[in-house]
Amino acid sequence: MDLPPLSKEQLVAVLTSSRSPTELYDTLAKYETTACLIDGKESELLSLYYSIFFFSHLLTDQIYEARAMTQRVPPILAHNDPSLQNCLTLLRAVWQRKYDSVYKILRELPWPEPLRLAVESYDKYFQQKTLREVSNAYEAIRPGAAAGYLGLDPVAAEQGDPALIQQFTAAGWTWDAQAKLLHPKPIPVSPKKDAQIQNELSQIMALVGKYQG
Amino acid sequence: MEELLSPLTSVSRRLHTSDPSDEDYDKQIRDLIIFLKDPGRASDISAVSGYALDKLDPSSHSLSYLFLLLHQINSTQFENKDLRPFDPTGALWPKIVRFLTSFDPFQIRYAGHEWRQLVELTVQSAQAVSKPLLAVPVIRDAILRLDPSSGVLTSIHITFIKLCLMSRSYSYALPILEKQICHFPTATSQTYQKHHKSILCGELEPSITFVTDSSGFSTKLTYRDYLQYFFCGAMIYMALKKWDKALHHLNIVICSPVTNAVSKIMVEGYKKWILVSLLACGKPIPSQSITSSHVMKVYQSLAQPYTTLADAFGKCDLQRLKVEVEAALSVWRMDNNTGLVYQVVDAFQKRTTLKLGKTFSALAVADVARHLPGRLSSLREVESFVASLVMCGTLDAVLLHLRDYSDSTMLRFSGTAKSRFLQENNVQGRILQECQSLRAMGKAVRDVNRGLELSNENFLFLQKCLKWSDNSGKGGINALEQTEGGFDLDEDIMGDIH
Repeated sequence: MDLPPLSKEQLVAVLTSSRSPTELYDTLAKYETTACLIDGKESELLSLYYSIFFFSHLLTDQIYEARAMTQRVPPILAHNDPSLQNCLTLLRAVWQRKYDSVYKILRELPWPEPLRLAVESYDKYFQQKTLREVSNAYEAIRPGAAAGYLGLDPVAAEQGDPALIQQFTAAGWTWDAQAKLLHPKPIPVSPKKDAQIQNELSQIMALVGKYQG
Repeated sequence: MEELLSPLTSVSRRLHTSDPSDEDYDKQIRDLIIFLKDPGRASDISAVSGYALDKLDPSSHSLSYLFLLLHQINSTQFENKDLRPFDPTGALWPKIVRFLTSFDPFQIRYAGHEWRQLVELTVQSAQAVSKPLLAVPVIRDAILRLDPSSGVLTSIHITFIKLCLMSRSYSYALPILEKQICHFPTATSQTYQKHHKSILCGELEPSITFVTDSSGFSTKLTYRDYLQYFFCGAMIYMALKKWDKALHHLNIVICSPVTNAVSKIMVEGYKKWILVSLLACGKPIPSQSITSSHVMKVYQSLAQPYTTLADAFGKCDLQRLKVEVEAALSVWRMDNNTGLVYQVVDAFQKRTTLKLGKTFSALAVADVARHLPGRLSSLREVESFVASLVMCGTLDAVLLHLRDYSDSTMLRFSGTAKSRFLQENNVQGRILQECQSLRAMGKAVRDVNRGLELSNENFLFLQKCLKWSDNSGKGGINALEQTEGGFDLDEDIMGDIH
């Protein structure tokens, strides 16, 4: 099926209408050859395209592919466009797992208006992902450290701000007010199910059951 | 014009594989090919090609569309006196892309030479404007459209993988790289193939029946092509830091059989294999037993700095590791392995931390810092380094902040429940992968077995067996079945002596 022509409006439409990050990534990947042929003078359109495509990589946890993508951006655009420069700074922070920098870049750097939705989505996604990772990595954690991981105010959390503590307890964590420590609750990641292997295993179990008695 | 359109549309995509029957469809396609290749009609077809391309549907009248495209390209070249096939910004490019991503694979099985010619022209056009990425998704879709199993290695596979490397579009290569390559284009010199012409448009025909050495889907492959495919594949996995898969591809390169001299690609593969094994397994791994000893000697003599580096890594000697890295800087640079070597140095601290789990069940981060040599200066840096290892699942442990701020954070290894969960997850993932590989290989083995049973060599072998059995008074045998069932041929050779 032919894709609608690449334009700023179309990019915003794709960004708002995609039902999942994977869908967003797949649609934008189909536009990459079109973007390749666009005249360098249309830098605003190209900048928006590559920036949203970059975020779609991050939203689908393809950090190495995201890096490769930034190397495919026309060099002049990559060096001069502020939005793409921000993307590169963000990539470095995510790569180095500098949590405070990630939130700072996402929340404080100037992002173009049409990109805001992607930036906010990634902020939320990164926070949720980090919450899962911290829940599995720590048995007990100081509120300040936990807040740092999740982009919340570490000073207020350290002082036991009830609103912040409530955010942690809402995720199933427990708060030991006496020790001033949070006890995260591990969040298991459900493995992907493969229908065929499940059926085959069921058949084997059925055979075992049949010949056992 | 209209009268030419009628034969051009005589073959269209079958909606049901039984209508028309395979035999009838095969005949229709062969008749159309005779028409399209008729030298007397070439100028007529060329004259209407522009008009006809707008009228035909590439997904339905694929064969005609392909020939028309080639006519159109030829006439454009002729008019412009320009050997460059077409400009990707021109009017032909979208038509070519539409064709290569939507053609009917059953019709195209009959036009391997033309299909490959178009694919190669597409690649050259993208390269001519220094935008190799333009051709990458198109060629990937075309390969998978022709043969969804992508089980036969062709020259187009190699072109495609190189194109992905060149354009740094690594993830685009994965749908092809992750397929199991089980065959080379089959030789058509076997006697039975002269008597048995398979119906190429049959839905159940395996790809080895239509991707042969004479079908045109591939140029003649050499040993070097085979090595290049897996070497480039490994490079792509390295770029994506999928170390296990990179190691597997490099294993194929370095374990390939050799008769006399070891090829340069194999030596380069061995150098990368040493570095990747350190990154994938955290230690040097023993070389594969299937590599012959003389090849190993060649490898070791040509990759001396690499083996020394791996030795220092294996012995956990950071000082020596750094000295070795510095001493052979020019070697890494010349071999284009500098990036990998620096990643190995970075992986050293990770490896040291993981090793602590074998000695301790728990220890304070301050103690971890004492065991970690190198660039992490503060306790805070050490903690965030260890936390990152735990959080990304590399280190099977949990961290524990203590009540007293002056106390260092504790690191507790092997949370049993968690590790069991991770192990189950890991095992399930591997079972799924193995299942898919076995399914693909099982099918390939059945196809190869069928070819072997009918091959000239097997018939010669059967003849010999019959002679032996006549001499020893035994009945006729099916050699393959007998050998599969554990029949001992040596004993049979000695049969007439008893």
